[in-house]
Amino acid sequence: MLAIRFHGRGGQGAKTASRIVGTAAFLEGFVAQDSPIYGAERRGAPVAAFTRIAKEQIRERGVIVHPDVVIVADASLISDPTARVFQGVDDRTVVFVNSSLSPQQVATQTSCSGRVTTLDLTEIALQRVGKRGALSALLGAVAGRLVGLHQESIRKAIAEELADLGLSPSVIERNQTVAAQCYETVQPVTIETGVPQPIVPVQLQAPIYEPPTRGTARISAAANSVLRETGGWRTFRPVLVPDKCNGCWLCFTYCPDGVISMSKDDRPVIDYDHCKGCQICVHECPTDALVAEREKEGEVAWRAK
Amino acid sequence: MAWQRETFKKIKQIPREEHVLPGTTLCAGCGGLEALRLAAKVLGDDVLYVNAAGCFTMLAAYPFTPFKGSWLYTTMGSAPAGAQGVRDALDVLIAKGRLSKEEDLKVVVLGGDGSTYDMALSSTSGAVARKLDFYYFCYDNEAYGNTGMQLSPATPYGARTVTSPCSLQHPAGATQEKKDIFELWRAHKPPYIATVAPRYPLDLEEKFARAAKFTGPKLFLALSACPTGWLYDPGETPEVAKLAVETGLWPLKEAINGDVTHTYIPKRKPVEEYLKLQGRFRHLFEPTVQTDVIAHIQSRVTTYWERVKQTEQGA
Repeated sequence: MLAIRFHGRGGQGAKTASRIVGTAAFLEGFVAQDSPIYGAERRGAPVAAFTRIAKEQIRERGVIVHPDVVIVADASLISDPTARVFQGVDDRTVVFVNSSLSPQQVATQTSCSGRVTTLDLTEIALQRVGKRGALSALLGAVAGRLVGLHQESIRKAIAEELADLGLSPSVIERNQTVAAQCYETVQPVTIETGVPQPIVPVQLQAPIYEPPTRGTARISAAANSVLRETGGWRTFRPVLVPDKCNGCWLCFTYCPDGVISMSKDDRPVIDYDHCKGCQICVHECPTDALVAEREKEGEVAWRAK
Repeated sequence: MAWQRETFKKIKQIPREEHVLPGTTLCAGCGGLEALRLAAKVLGDDVLYVNAAGCFTMLAAYPFTPFKGSWLYTTMGSAPAGAQGVRDALDVLIAKGRLSKEEDLKVVVLGGDGSTYDMALSSTSGAVARKLDFYYFCYDNEAYGNTGMQLSPATPYGARTVTSPCSLQHPAGATQEKKDIFELWRAHKPPYIATVAPRYPLDLEEKFARAAKFTGPKLFLALSACPTGWLYDPGETPEVAKLAVETGLWPLKEAINGDVTHTYIPKRKPVEEYLKLQGRFRHLFEPTVQTDVIAHIQSRVTTYWERVKQTEQGA
């Protein structure tokens, strides 16, 4: 049995990717099982999905604790303790990270013990599909390649799953084309199959609690949501071009999260720890004084404190 | 005479201070949060929010809260009943002298459209009939959004939701008409009702400022463009809200003791401009254009505004 675990942020397509792989495996005659974690799966929040593929009946259920393959749709999740991206990863686990960095760089930076491979899917999606966030077909193709599924079944599975989401045929076809490109580009890593996984007795571990100042709910708690940083949700960050700003206050007015404040001389000050990167300010700025810049690891740093 | 703003005339009058702090896990580009944040700038910090289960549950997800004031969490159907309890408790404490008048709080119900149009309708009706002194803030994203966009009575004709898909039997998607909650509320004759859209911030601020003068139920219906459910890029939230108003689909109006005034008369762009921007209406344009459905949506808007013209002469 092969166990694949997908990590992403709500809206990036981790769940659909897990379905694409499951469907593709099923089309090739394997037994397949896929399921997402049920929770508050909203845009930007960390989500996970699981696919199991086997030749025989799968009796295992639930979350995958010892994955053979881990697919990470968003590199910023690695530093997020709640996402637990590397849980159960050992030196035999294949880890794919959607990143512009090389596998070695990622492995060093994140001290990941698995066999890392990378590809900048976000950049490919932006260039070829023209949309941020639409990664499901690409992730599915990469995962399918890593576990050795055929390109044709991936193609069929993408059509099936994206049609279920109500996407138009032209969009599905574009996704298939770009997914095929990713299938061919991603650097495959050998997976040791056939080696029976030793059954490790599960040790009950005390969960890591936040310090009392953060983790303890008090009925008198007030305005403490700022302790939770949402800066890692961004694909793009709004950046001010000071010369162009006419001080009109529109970015401040329309920002849903209230992360833009106006300085004394009426210039926007952006709180990057909390800006979710919706780009409303960039869209609404009448003088194009706010521009969107791509967030990239190693270049622009948002880091969880 | 045309409606005029008395307090909020310039954008720089919008208070700088924030009352809904960042760090909530609502979606990036949430139109509902955009509206609430602007409303809270007038409501201030001395507020007790009574939240009906829904997307806004994520505002104060344990153990974090974006508010300096209090928060009470209720089921989808009972937020106005919760508000009654809170209001009564505050009144009793003030009457007994255990709380000074300066410490009084505004009681504000937060409810989505699923709650407002559907489950909490009877409890709202009761609260308004009892002349409860409270605010009701409905963030209307036209579906049960928190559970993944299922049809609600607020879903407009022609929209696709996960429970009203575009199918051979129903190529239009949702076949119902959006429930007119404004008129249902108005039938109760509360002192103040208004519709708002965050893309029109001065209109929104003005209405919350005006409502403060009234004792009794003050009900607000806020257009909450929803990138996640309406399927458009989060950066386009204000654009979608603008087109909803400019096409005439989302009328900006208020009703004082039942008398309606439209606070903004749009030039009425064709509804296609609004529909085309959103994935939930894509089936009306692809693979074939469903002209009859679009014409139906347009005719409803036209009829509405013709009637406005007749009843509000000179508005």
